[in-house]
Amino acid sequence: MTMTGDSQQKIDAYLGRLRGRLRGIRDDEVREIVEELRSHIMDKAAASKEAAGEANGEITAAGVDAALAALGTPEELASQYMTENLLARAEVSRSPVQILRSLFRWASLSVAGFFVLLGSILGYFLGAVFILVAVLKPFHPHTAGLWVFPNGAGDSEISFRMGFGSIPVGGRDVLGWWIVPIGWMAGGGLVMLTTHIALWFVRRYRRSLVRSWG
Amino acid sequence: MKGRDPREQEPGDKWEVQLRKGCLELAILAALWDGKRYGLEILRRLESDSDLIVSEGTVYPLLSRLKALGLVRSEWVASDAGHPRKYYALTPAGKRRALEMAAIWAQFSSSMSKLLAPLAKENR
Repeated sequence: MTMTGDSQQKIDAYLGRLRGRLRGIRDDEVREIVEELRSHIMDKAAASKEAAGEANGEITAAGVDAALAALGTPEELASQYMTENLLARAEVSRSPVQILRSLFRWASLSVAGFFVLLGSILGYFLGAVFILVAVLKPFHPHTAGLWVFPNGAGDSEISFRMGFGSIPVGGRDVLGWWIVPIGWMAGGGLVMLTTHIALWFVRRYRRSLVRSWG
Repeated sequence: MKGRDPREQEPGDKWEVQLRKGCLELAILAALWDGKRYGLEILRRLESDSDLIVSEGTVYPLLSRLKALGLVRSEWVASDAGHPRKYYALTPAGKRRALEMAAIWAQFSSSMSKLLAPLAKENR
């Protein structure tokens, strides 16, 4: 099977544009995607030639054009790959690290993704703080915990203390040793809740894509 | 549908698109049931054996997701066309998933058909 230089150039240009937009996908996966599509385009272009009743010989520019048009623009195709790819990874994993990594990529694609990322970072951070305080309490029994400090304006200020440094002046350790069970439960709960909510948004987003790419 | 502003679509139109897209995953798994196939073969199978009018730009990314989910695996096979082709096959998890989905489908479509029987007469 032969092909004119012109058709070859068209295919390379299309795949080059696609490759440039497949951000955040592993290099070996990008190579696979590009090679699979190259193979598809050649098969498709050859098939349209056969369908026209001509011998299976040179792949024409028209056949290549039709094959490329059927795939959509490289930009549309790349964003479908990126979405399917990152959502699949988030769905198979319950690990906050993998979820955050996927959300970072989603955030680069859409505003909604950015806010979900922001919310998830906050949720995981707060969860981690609760757990950290619970872990540190036995090592710093007098200083670690959830403290309340009165401030000048008559209000009070609540803060988590990891227990490093001296005993805070004027403050009150609200929970005492209760911070250990409460910290673990609240922290673990927050991490799980954040994961659930993030995955819910991810699935909802995937369903919403149906409308744009039916 | 591609490239169209979603707001231009009729409500019924949108519903049909969602319905088709929702079936696509099961349709692809079913197309791989009796053996491995490459992308274009899967597309042709879907076109000939179902009413699913599938955009090529939808199937390839979906195949890559099914692979990431561990429902299909892939291998490159040399062909006499001069270039290798990427073949997909169901994994054991993919087979289980396909059976589950097929069972849900059968149950759902038979109860829907019962419900829709009076409308079907009207449409005839």
